Amino acid sequence: MALPMRGLLGSVMMVNMVALAVLPVHAQETQPATDATPHPASKPHTVTVTSTRDPVDKSYRKMIRGMERFERAHALAPRATLRFRLLPRLPTVDMRGITLKVVGDRITVPVPVAEDNGFTLPRNEQALREDAAVIANRKTTSMTWRAQVVTPGLPPDTRRLGDLRLECLVGVEAGLVSNSAPLFGWIASALNSPEQVCNSADGNFLFFTERPLFSVTLRAGERTEMLPFRMLYAGGDQTRDELQYCDCQVMLDRTYFAPIWDRSWPDDTLVSFEYMEDGPAPAPAPTEGTP
Amino acid sequence: MKRLHACLIGALLLAGCATQAPPPGTVVAADRFGQLVVPGRTTRADLLAAFGPTRSVSFDSGYQAWLYSAGAAGGQSGELVLLLDRDGIVRKMRRRPAYPTDGQR
Repeated sequence: MALPMRGLLGSVMMVNMVALAVLPVHAQETQPATDATPHPASKPHTVTVTSTRDPVDKSYRKMIRGMERFERAHALAPRATLRFRLLPRLPTVDMRGITLKVVGDRITVPVPVAEDNGFTLPRNEQALREDAAVIANRKTTSMTWRAQVVTPGLPPDTRRLGDLRLECLVGVEAGLVSNSAPLFGWIASALNSPEQVCNSADGNFLFFTERPLFSVTLRAGERTEMLPFRMLYAGGDQTRDELQYCDCQVMLDRTYFAPIWDRSWPDDTLVSFEYMEDGPAPAPAPTEGTP
Repeated sequence: MKRLHACLIGALLLAGCATQAPPPGTVVAADRFGQLVVPGRTTRADLLAAFGPTRSVSFDSGYQAWLYSAGAAGGQSGELVLLLDRDGIVRKMRRRPAYPTDGQR
């Protein structure tokens, strides 16, 4: 089994630390001018601000491109459907009651969010023309996003490798992963095509399970292999300081790399999980937090 | 000469950006490991006394995953992974053999 080099994520994190030193200056320069002082000599202007866009909000155009990629690469998972999913990025984020909308210059389209924080995105030509953003009622950096491609009828606690391959292609195309500070995230996404990320052992695309993970096993016909330790827990070599740049920050024990780049494993390969706690998944407990 | 210096500086910068692969876990004898480690009973202190410290990952839940390497004559080593709970007791153990494809990149 080909294994990922662990250097890339570390290098990205190092670059991010430099980025953080640079970004405040950049942010100051790009702050819109605000002037609350009235101008009695001039006629007052009324400006209605329906919403504010964060520079790292998800791009509606990109997410639609991700949906188009799903259609083009559907052969990887012919029976699967596509959703997107919101996941926690910070320990303080309250993942209950999230609302989502597509916001352009003149258009706002509400997007229903399911209880598991999954959603599908409607196609809207005006929102595309207006280069709309997909905005949640949470701080952008408090959550991460993923595509979710699931073939129905799989055994419990399993995923299908072709589904994961497609999740990677869609996720990168849609610009969902946020492992970087904003500026460098933009540069990274400009330099890395979905093929470069998803077809490379160094792509470092992270997947998450629903529960804390102990072991991952691949099965294809007679072939069975357990994933090595370094493909779990984002490589298992992140320091506390480095983790803040990984969107696995609060899901480290649910994080794994799947060998999506390794074509010796067919799309129908079953990826099965053994969790830290045996038995059925516990009911989700209410969590304390702030939006 | 200036070009040589530029190359050296460039190489040093690149080397600074690269991170080394994490070290594998402490090498132990798999047989002895199997005899001494009993999920539900073996403690963190028992592991440290018998096999010494090794690579581990700590989670927000208080759980830890510990990795030991099972030495092999052929050069490739298997893995012995332990899950320790909040009280430092081994809850789970798994052995991963070395696969023929492990060395491929």
